[in-house]
Amino acid sequence: MIEAAAALVAWLGAAVVVLADARRGLALGLALVTAGLAALAWGTGQPIGAIALAAGGMTGALRCWTAAPGRWGLMPPGSTARLVLCIAAGLLGLWIAASATTAPGAPVLFAVLVVVGLMAARVLAGGDVIVDRTAIACLALALALSPSLASSIPTGPVPYVIGALIAAAVIVAPATMPQGAARSGKDGR
Amino acid sequence: MAAELLLAAAAALTLAVVFAPPRVRRASLLTRGLLGLAGMAAIAIAPTLDLILLILLVLAVLQAGLVSHRDFAARVRAPVLAIALLALGLAFERIEGPPVLLRFGAVGLVAGLVAAIGLLPYLHEFDPEESTVASPIAWIAFVGPLLAVAVLARAKQVVPADAGDALGAMLIGLGLLNVLWGTVAAWRTETDAAAWRYSFLSDWGLVLCGFGLAIADGQGAALMLLLSIVLGRLPLYLSSRQAVRDRTATLRPINLLVAAALAGSAPFAGFAARIMLLRGATQIYWPLAVVLAAAMLLWLPASLRLGRSMGLPRGRQAIGVAVVLAVSVFLGLYPQPLLALAGL
Repeated sequence: MIEAAAALVAWLGAAVVVLADARRGLALGLALVTAGLAALAWGTGQPIGAIALAAGGMTGALRCWTAAPGRWGLMPPGSTARLVLCIAAGLLGLWIAASATTAPGAPVLFAVLVVVGLMAARVLAGGDVIVDRTAIACLALALALSPSLASSIPTGPVPYVIGALIAAAVIVAPATMPQGAARSGKDGR
Repeated sequence: MAAELLLAAAAALTLAVVFAPPRVRRASLLTRGLLGLAGMAAIAIAPTLDLILLILLVLAVLQAGLVSHRDFAARVRAPVLAIALLALGLAFERIEGPPVLLRFGAVGLVAGLVAAIGLLPYLHEFDPEESTVASPIAWIAFVGPLLAVAVLARAKQVVPADAGDALGAMLIGLGLLNVLWGTVAAWRTETDAAAWRYSFLSDWGLVLCGFGLAIADGQGAALMLLLSIVLGRLPLYLSSRQAVRDRTATLRPINLLVAAALAGSAPFAGFAARIMLLRGATQIYWPLAVVLAAAMLLWLPASLRLGRSMGLPRGRQAIGVAVVLAVSVFLGLYPQPLLALAGL
């Protein structure tokens, strides 16, 4: 029951990231995804992985929250398509995880499917740099949890730690601005 | 196979640094190239596909963070889509569900691989003025070959036999599509810079066909073609950039030699690869060999165009071109030791 709730929290977080255009909304979404995926990692017997995911994701969320300008930017006008996408992705993920498969671990599968799918859609839709970075952080956390779907291979804490490091670093790292129209004579080849 | 490609990438980086024209910042090129090589080494030794995806995400973010004319979002779009498709495909392969989900998983893996390499149309924006390390060429010609080998090797561990057939068929289908699209576009497109980019796609089409054949000849052909991309087409593309910018097309013997190497004529590396591919296709399904043989003729006009676009290399660049051609001839004449090293 706790795992199912955690998977729903992860989906809710991914949906918030898709629906938000400003830092506070994105931070909330990242925090929810982190909480959901960390709880799922704990449930699959990976306490170190869960702690790593929580630390990495929450570091990113905190950095996102504190960076100015602080606005929520949740569901700005024209968000209907994004809302439909979130609901459709949730329903499709739920159907695949709960009905179309017979394996245990349906909550983990649901969380991985919806977070990966929604974050890819968010990056493809384009947006501000911080939007893409938040989506990449969520994607890294979901990728870190993904090995637990395989029953045949041992999943140590390494993927979780790497995923958590990516999630934190991608938000904390300073952004580079694209070069302007003026092009220098030298290039890096 | 991955070790050979890693060494080839290191050799290509060395060639690029040593024979770079004076306007290129060598230190920057070397630093970024070594970073890419480190990532490729990590991909080569990663035990699972999950770890490869995480390493790929790191590489994608690092590359998107480089200073360029394109913004972060435009550059990170294709790799993130690739990683997501690969992750979804992998998830479908791991669940105990109906066979159709396994086939969807195979579709995800192939689509993700194609997106990661840079073969998906319209997704990878190509700016000829952009530095190569920040452009899609870095994926298609430097990181992509090793990535493809690593992803397909790890995918075979999780894809069941039934879905494996679907995976092979999709690779061949996409390969043929890229062969036709790449060769015709490289021949007919307006700018020489775009023609060079399309020529990579056509080579990759043959590589995908080789991987799809799933027999020793196909794998060997794929390896030879990948080496000809990394050690042949990439260095020649780098040498041609200045001439393409200046639009100084020439038709000297060196241009014809370069065109022959790019077209996969004897005795260059591409020729041996093409022979192996045709032999493999004949073993599997002979009409495929007929289609491939016909499609290989399309390399000629595009390669002549690319050879002319190189201009007349001088000084250090001329030495670089000579080295590349010599390496290609060596690989074409003596492919067996290399194939034996790769266990083929």
